[in-house]
Amino acid sequence: MNIAVCIKQVPDAPAIRMDKERMSIIRNGVESIINPLDAVALDAALTLKKKQGGKVVVLTMGPPQSEEALREALAAGADEAVLVTDIRFAGADTLATSHTLARAISRLAPFPDLIVCGRQSIDSDTGHVGPQIAEELDLPQACGATEIHVEGSSLIVRQVSDGFLNTFRVNLPALVTVSHELSFPRYLPFGEIERAFSTGKITRWGLEELGLEEHEVGFQGSATKVLRLYRPPPKQRGEVATGSTQELVERIIRRLESLSIIDEEGGGE
Amino acid sequence: MRFRESLISAHHNYLINQMLTPGFILGQANGEDEFWLLADVLLPGEKAPCLSGRFYDGKGVFLLHMQGCEIIENPGNCILRASAEGFRLLCPSGEMLLSLDTEVFANGFLTRVQGKLYDKKGSLRMEPSFESAKVFGDNHRALYAPVRSQNKASDSHEIFPLDRGETPDL
Amino acid sequence: MKKVGENKSAKGIWVFGDYRNYFQNRVTLQLIAKGKELAGKLGADLTVLVLGHQVHQYAMEYVAHGADVIMAVDHPALKSYQVETYSRVVADLVRAWGPQILLAGATAFGREFFPRLAKRLRTGLSADCVALDVDAQEGWLIQTTPSFGGELLADVITPQSRPQMATVHPGMFQERIHDAAAVGRIIYPDVKVEADERVQLVRSKPEQGHRGELEDAPVVVVGGWGMGSRENFQRLFDLAEYLGGEVGATRPVVTAGWAGEDRLLGQTGRSVKPRLLITVGTSGALQYTTGIHGAETIIAVNRDPNAPIFKISDLGLVGDGRSILALLLETLKKRL
Repeated sequence: MNIAVCIKQVPDAPAIRMDKERMSIIRNGVESIINPLDAVALDAALTLKKKQGGKVVVLTMGPPQSEEALREALAAGADEAVLVTDIRFAGADTLATSHTLARAISRLAPFPDLIVCGRQSIDSDTGHVGPQIAEELDLPQACGATEIHVEGSSLIVRQVSDGFLNTFRVNLPALVTVSHELSFPRYLPFGEIERAFSTGKITRWGLEELGLEEHEVGFQGSATKVLRLYRPPPKQRGEVATGSTQELVERIIRRLESLSIIDEEGGGE
Repeated sequence: MRFRESLISAHHNYLINQMLTPGFILGQANGEDEFWLLADVLLPGEKAPCLSGRFYDGKGVFLLHMQGCEIIENPGNCILRASAEGFRLLCPSGEMLLSLDTEVFANGFLTRVQGKLYDKKGSLRMEPSFESAKVFGDNHRALYAPVRSQNKASDSHEIFPLDRGETPDL
Repeated sequence: MKKVGENKSAKGIWVFGDYRNYFQNRVTLQLIAKGKELAGKLGADLTVLVLGHQVHQYAMEYVAHGADVIMAVDHPALKSYQVETYSRVVADLVRAWGPQILLAGATAFGREFFPRLAKRLRTGLSADCVALDVDAQEGWLIQTTPSFGGELLADVITPQSRPQMATVHPGMFQERIHDAAAVGRIIYPDVKVEADERVQLVRSKPEQGHRGELEDAPVVVVGGWGMGSRENFQRLFDLAEYLGGEVGATRPVVTAGWAGEDRLLGQTGRSVKPRLLITVGTSGALQYTTGIHGAETIIAVNRDPNAPIFKISDLGLVGDGRSILALLLETLKKRL
């Protein structure tokens, strides 16, 4: 079974360890990680490869340093990696990104039986790229998979969606996006990443290799434009109260009353 | 793309010709073929769908005149059988002339209209079909306000012509 | 591939009618209300798309809640919501009628259906918007969409392609009350409906409990590592019950097994926007707080006066979570 996995390198939120209480305000050059759900996607692909045999190809679209993410993926067990990179791909919205990635996937030989992506990324949060690649390649899709099994030339996919537990049978080739419930990402011992640097096979494809034109990609190929980017207006920092347990509980009770979550005591209408 | 268009009320609609409509008129009281059927608009709070009309059999023989769900003239000896969900109007042979079935929702209700009706010339004007009867002939119009105060079925400004249209090339 | 399309002449605002779990899932009604407001500014009508099989009830409900027009497609192949089948039908309708704006609730279905549809129509789409506005002069829909779990907001436009599409987070707008006297128009388009045989729904059953409830709960009570033990954490369920709410958890709690992953709030979990959020024994790590930004009022309890959680709380209480919770429960029990 030939599987293509789309991954994205994303900035990590300020790194906080479980036993630390303070948030680190200074960020020295933002750490980059593989989008957590893409790591789950990769894990799913590798598991399927173990069961079915075949090959796992990892693709990422991004600046040259995204190669690190591909190295991690190769170290985890992917067979091949493709870095889709070109200065002209920058500024792409999901329409342009999915177009570029779909073109790259269509250039894989052989064309994959299955494409796996994380359902959404922690930075842009849209969840659009998977379905848009599926539409462009005219493939059936199943999103937010919590379980994936192969059954002949189909996939059985379980999904939790809007209060329903759904089971789908999807004909291959298909595209699936995965959700957190699918599995937990494996941890890589450092030694394996070192090994990936010497044996990993990474292909680089840019605008010309993909047979694309500038107006189809990047900023020019995007249908949406960002007018402004901003932090939500900060909440007015509320009061911080100290006192005895009794006093503190009283404050909570009063607040609950003022919000009408509980009725005020004693007072009738 | 071709389309059909009707009106739709929040609390009650008839389902006729595979379309929802608050009220409708088929035919014309003063028309040559003398066939007409009026399903009047119900106001919020009203529960009983209200039908009036003049019906004939396949040979053009006059069968029945109904006004507000009550039979006024009945030379055809038709039988009216009421039930919890609506009523059935039957010929003496047992063949169904007209039926109403009401489905109640949380905030409204729907009346499915079925029937086999002809006009004075013996032409088929209505025939049973999936979910609601199919309608033939001219003058199929939707109502958005009740006409019952007038007792006739023509020329009221409560009428909305049921559109058949086609979208323009964009 | 053609250049991303231009079309300035199209009119009308359309809302996709998601009527599943109609009485609990109000997002379509919220969008109708907001859509009408925007349509007013543009001099346009508000149309609701109702696709399904024998779903007349919902068409009527949407009229009662403010729709000017219902665009109804009734076909057995539309009985269950299916992305590929729905995308083809709606794309054909959009191409024939040319609405300028197309909205859907950001339900799980909406979030996988709309991108496919937007791609099919070669137009722009923003996800999970928390606000919408129009620039009537330019004809732009201004889409406010969150990123980094809500840490940042972006105002986005789709300047040229049409329709301008957006999915909208549930609970951002107020629905209009039901008006039994409302009358609208209903259009039955002659559109081809064909089920996509490549995907088959083998089984669908309603999910029990939690999932839907957490995002819909008016009150959410969250416990963190500071609760100290599974027993202490369990007491939060009592508090939630008294206050008519649900219980959420942070990552350390889930990892420790005190609560299931379906209660996880934050960057890799769920986001909630309740009226009131009470968070106990949580330090306020960013991975957690991205899931609670939208809460109207936050009450936080933590032993450490410098805990970051106090930067976002409306009422902060410095003290021992366990004893405060115990006394709070006792007090509430006496009153209720």
